Amino acid sequence: MSAAMERRWVVRAVAGAALLAVPLALPQFYLLLSVEILIMGLFAIGFNVLLGYAGMVSFGHAAFFGVGAYTCGLLLKKTEAPFVVAFLAAPVVAVVVAAVIGYFCVRLTRIYFSMLTLAFSQIVWATAHKWYSLTGGDNGLVGVPVPAWLIGPRTFYGFVAGVSVIVVAVLWRIMQAPFGRTLLAIRENAERAEFVGINVKRSQLTAFALSGAVSGLAGGMFALFTRGAFPEYAFWTKSAEVLLMTLLGGPHVFLGPALGAGILIVLNSVVTSYTEYWPIVLGIILLALIYVFPGGVTRIFLGWRGTGRPAGPTRA
Amino acid sequence: MPDLSALADPGFLAVQCLNGLTQAMFLFLIASGLSLIFGVLGVLNFAHGSLYMLGAYLSYTIASWFVGSPAAFWVALILGSIGVALVGGIIESVFLRPVYRREELDQLLVTYALVLIISDLVKLAWGAENRSGSRPALLAGSVVIAGRDFPTYNLFVLAVGPLVALGLWLLLRRTQFGRLVRAAANDREMVGVVGVNVTGLFTGVFMLGAWLGGLGGGLAAPIGAIFPGMDVEIIVESFIVVVVGGMGSLGGTLLGALIIGQLNAFGILFFPRFAIVFVYILMAVVLVIRPWGLLGRPVTRG
Amino acid sequence: MKRFTAVAGTVLSCLLILWSALPLPVPAQQETIKIGVIYGLGGAAAPYTKPAITGHEIAVDEINAKGGLLGRKLQLVIRDDQSKPDVGVREARELILKEKVDFLMGVIHSGVALGISEVAKEYKKIYLNTIAKTAALTEEKGHRYVFRSASNTVIEGRAAAILMANQPFKRYAVIGPDYEYGHRMVDDFISYLKMLKPGVQVVGEAWPKFGERDFTAHVNALLQAKPEMVYSSLWGGDAIAFVKQAKPYGFFTKTEYMNIAAADLDVVVPLGAETPEGIWGSSNYAFYYPDTPANREFVAKYKAKANDLPPAGAFFGYVGTYFLAEAIRKAKSADTEKVIDALEGLTIETPIGPLTMRAYDHQATKGQYWGRLKRVPEFPFPIMGDVQLIGGEKTLRPVDEIKALRGAK
Repeated sequence: MSAAMERRWVVRAVAGAALLAVPLALPQFYLLLSVEILIMGLFAIGFNVLLGYAGMVSFGHAAFFGVGAYTCGLLLKKTEAPFVVAFLAAPVVAVVVAAVIGYFCVRLTRIYFSMLTLAFSQIVWATAHKWYSLTGGDNGLVGVPVPAWLIGPRTFYGFVAGVSVIVVAVLWRIMQAPFGRTLLAIRENAERAEFVGINVKRSQLTAFALSGAVSGLAGGMFALFTRGAFPEYAFWTKSAEVLLMTLLGGPHVFLGPALGAGILIVLNSVVTSYTEYWPIVLGIILLALIYVFPGGVTRIFLGWRGTGRPAGPTRA
Repeated sequence: MPDLSALADPGFLAVQCLNGLTQAMFLFLIASGLSLIFGVLGVLNFAHGSLYMLGAYLSYTIASWFVGSPAAFWVALILGSIGVALVGGIIESVFLRPVYRREELDQLLVTYALVLIISDLVKLAWGAENRSGSRPALLAGSVVIAGRDFPTYNLFVLAVGPLVALGLWLLLRRTQFGRLVRAAANDREMVGVVGVNVTGLFTGVFMLGAWLGGLGGGLAAPIGAIFPGMDVEIIVESFIVVVVGGMGSLGGTLLGALIIGQLNAFGILFFPRFAIVFVYILMAVVLVIRPWGLLGRPVTRG
Repeated sequence: MKRFTAVAGTVLSCLLILWSALPLPVPAQQETIKIGVIYGLGGAAAPYTKPAITGHEIAVDEINAKGGLLGRKLQLVIRDDQSKPDVGVREARELILKEKVDFLMGVIHSGVALGISEVAKEYKKIYLNTIAKTAALTEEKGHRYVFRSASNTVIEGRAAAILMANQPFKRYAVIGPDYEYGHRMVDDFISYLKMLKPGVQVVGEAWPKFGERDFTAHVNALLQAKPEMVYSSLWGGDAIAFVKQAKPYGFFTKTEYMNIAAADLDVVVPLGAETPEGIWGSSNYAFYYPDTPANREFVAKYKAKANDLPPAGAFFGYVGTYFLAEAIRKAKSADTEKVIDALEGLTIETPIGPLTMRAYDHQATKGQYWGRLKRVPEFPFPIMGDVQLIGGEKTLRPVDEIKALRGAK
């Protein structure tokens, strides 16, 4: 590693740490809002492994978010499982569910892929909605016990920030490794990728499972954050939410989706304190996104022009 | 344990079959618009549910201007659905036209933004209360079928569905417009190259699709509740119908609607507590076994 | 490197811009007593929640016109939960932490109410629920900080059972929306009815999804079971669509029909003349019953403000606000713990007569009105005839049973 590269990494780390430390100085409400941004940001980054890298549009990612939330919530509420086990079980169960669902989905392409993810996620939603004895049905699983050491908002923020940083760093490494390039190659031209010896379906399935695992982890943290898991966490509108966050931030930038999550959540908080007509505001923002700055917010600042995603590796 | 002795009663079976058929006709009317737009324009129109809702509200309001007149329902149905077609024309020419050359996702996002905007506009314009239209006196009663009462209105819907299907078939098979539409569905660039006014064609198709959605809403207005939020449920249901039948195939949409109508009518007898999952399971199974739908064409490009 | 700084800069400047757009938290020492009010303001909930907000506003205006409470004015801070539990939880936290509200009220969606109840427990703030009906909120999941001024599924289910105990029907069929509320309203009715009147049979059941458009298959299946009475826990748009679609099947001549929401204004007004006469309907509130000066006065106030007749939601918002206000007055303080003590066992006068907040489970003794719908010349919609009030005292789950439920958790 050259000196310049090392310096680059130090600056990055310092900038990142400073950014993450800002909320600690803010009043409690903003701290909680930051927690939500981090969790949804992580969900969106995980989702973008499929959308931005593999070019697969999932309409059903809420399924894995929901599975993660219920796994963590159920283990904490209904069993004696230690916190670490319950928490880590969220991505583990999510990855299993994602592997099964993904097995069927990656065989399809484009809109058919999207529709099958939608169908499966609605089945997950319906299961959570109907299985009263286990999930509490549509009333939700409420009163998830959070260990005493984690309850303070600053501690919880630190926990979420720590987990997110680790996961994002690992994901970044994976995406910079050959696997990430493989996905990009598939996105650009699946037939050619197949031709040069890439096992397209297997790579897509791996991406699907990886994406599901990160979504499940985010869901687990969200269950801790809201002290409960609800069927709405697996409903298709949640999938739409994460898709919007990703597109708003910019799917072609690794951290873009998290920025999108931040913008959407803060805007929601501001707008809803003035009016109940948040949907119309969101709709107008979306239209602006499409016509005025396609490619997401990051593209404005990075000065990339033109339509379509840039070829080559995705940026940090 | 559900009581299945009903299945041995021919009168019951006949009426239940007709119920399933009526439901299928509703689903067909609404979903055919979605299918047509997808087939020709390649746009998955999330706002189709909103057009359905607009159809219901417009018909309700127009009917209320002519309250007491026997023509109220008919005038409202016709004008309401035409109104929705005009809204569709605006949506296509103002919002969708600039993004045809973009990725599919951008077009989808436009229609999703419209879902959000229309839902709030409807709330602002009509308020939050439940509303409901009235059946015309002619169709308010019932006829006896297999010894049981059956609503005349449902018979009317059972007639409208096939008539619209036939009309669409004739339009697509026997007219110049239809030939162009089918050509465009096959190869969008090609039609433009041979000098056809693709812009006008797309607007026309979108208006036709919107009209079908609005007609569905107008027909539903007298026999259900009209409220902001009635758009959410229908859109996923229409997706299911279209996916099961084959995206872009009108015959497939009809078949998908018929299957789902009967599944709902008879499924509740076997699993009364699991009606909400039937359709999703059906959708998943069809996509896994035959991704392009029952009557759709296989995808050529990966 | 440049790109990274650009991204970091973007993130930072976006965050800073957005943070600064947020209003600063108000100072803790404030003039007004702030009440955070959360409802799902769109979709199927809106016909209840919009009038509820008007109800809250009428009560607050009235109290403020008389000089407020403890010399302080009341102030409402209204938020939309979009009927999503996570949004409700976020709004509740925002109201407590940023808006510094003293109390939380509202909510129609049961999942949202349960979620907010947990927030209230954590931040030690009173949450007084006004519409959501899940019994769990005040039964097994009840705690010191949660109250409910509305009725619940046990109260309403048992009220219907008491009503039917004197009727000759034995063969019942049931229909309800396929979610917790719909099922509980049916289960609480049937189990209590079987206790009061042995020999009652359930011969058919139908569970359309909430927001169903087509009930005809259910209508035919219910008729096939040849019930003497069909009990329905459908509400709102579902209740309207079912009646409209069932009528031409001769449903209402072949069986009796009772519906827990059939006398609600948001159901009878759209149904209008199409309402079958003689069906049994219930409502949480009726502007015409009891025909007392207090109720007439409330109707006049609502008309003056909203230019309409008050639906059930309006009553819930109004009475919920008064429960809280009277408790503050009695406690001579807006301090949470003191107001809780004052609320426990508190009896207040309402447009429909006195209501009591039971001390043990924080559940109000709100009763249920039933009657057979009949047309009257005064209104373009039917009203309940020979209204019967089945009082909350008779139908509340006894404290011992709740203790057992809570112990079992």
